Amino acid sequence: MPMETPEYPTTDQLDRDIALMLAQDARLSFRKIAADLGVTEGTVRGRVKRLQGAGLLKLVPIIDIDRARDAGTGGQGSGQHMMFVTVRCASGKLNHVREALLAIPQVSALYDANATPRLVAVCILPSLDDAAIVMNQILSLDGIREAESELVLQSVKYNAAIGPIATLEDLTRQSTD
Amino acid sequence: MSDDRPQRRPRATALDETDHRIIEVLARDGRAQSTTIGEELGLSGNLVANRIRAMDAGGLMRVVAVADYRIHGYRMVARIRLQVTGRAPIEVAREMAQREDVLSVHITSGRYPVSCLYAFHNAREMLEAVRNASADIAGVEDVDVELVNNVYRYVPAVGPLGT
Repeated sequence: MPMETPEYPTTDQLDRDIALMLAQDARLSFRKIAADLGVTEGTVRGRVKRLQGAGLLKLVPIIDIDRARDAGTGGQGSGQHMMFVTVRCASGKLNHVREALLAIPQVSALYDANATPRLVAVCILPSLDDAAIVMNQILSLDGIREAESELVLQSVKYNAAIGPIATLEDLTRQSTD
Repeated sequence: MSDDRPQRRPRATALDETDHRIIEVLARDGRAQSTTIGEELGLSGNLVANRIRAMDAGGLMRVVAVADYRIHGYRMVARIRLQVTGRAPIEVAREMAQREDVLSVHITSGRYPVSCLYAFHNAREMLEAVRNASADIAGVEDVDVELVNNVYRYVPAVGPLGT
């Protein structure tokens, strides 16, 4: 995996407008979007395809974390707790630790941060028992100097429409196309 | 299993087995047609369409488009964590939530109880935001900045849709 971050494909106002219209309802018809934005349906289809191909737009079902919990639907897919785990790695161990973290299914997002070898894992957990299981797994990994866990107690604001979502793999695939 | 067929319903209050199977297909293709999903799962297209509407109406599940911050003209994203003393973290969190470029704010159990995902158009904006957070917001004791570099995984399966 290259250490250099690849170039991102350029985007314009039409890409932003389409992304905003799909943010509320990703199943909105392309015909409706095209009519509202004054372009052809084919243009909308092409733009969405290009953005999706580059990993810059993902059309995904999101289950509500609170209602899923209240409804008592344990088990498959319905996560209930969110936990950030910030891991500081021993020098030269970043790649090793990263692969080990990616092997943990409860890790729903993973990124590295700052110049220091720091990895941040966002975990979605069906129960607090799982928080203990995940922390035991992480702290047992070779090459970890410190792991700090933060359980989310309350969400005050959450913008589901924007985030750091394009993965290194998405961007690398794009630049070699 | 009994011979109970999956039922139509106006508004879902909890996800059942049928809903979860539909969500699994949507996770592969968020715009899959109801009839296509139905064919794969052995259900009628009408029932699938009804279930998707009911989950949405009940606030349980929504198919959304998540855009990378670069589409919206931002150049960097950081998790900014605030250590708070002499004030309830929720008050600091609400102040941070009012800023347009703050994408999410969570209260956590950690040493830095206010955790914000913050997007910036350039480095100067980030430096100013960090300086403002410690200088202008009462109760902020310390600020930790975690600039997101490479993303290795992003699977947005669950989120607080209601906030």
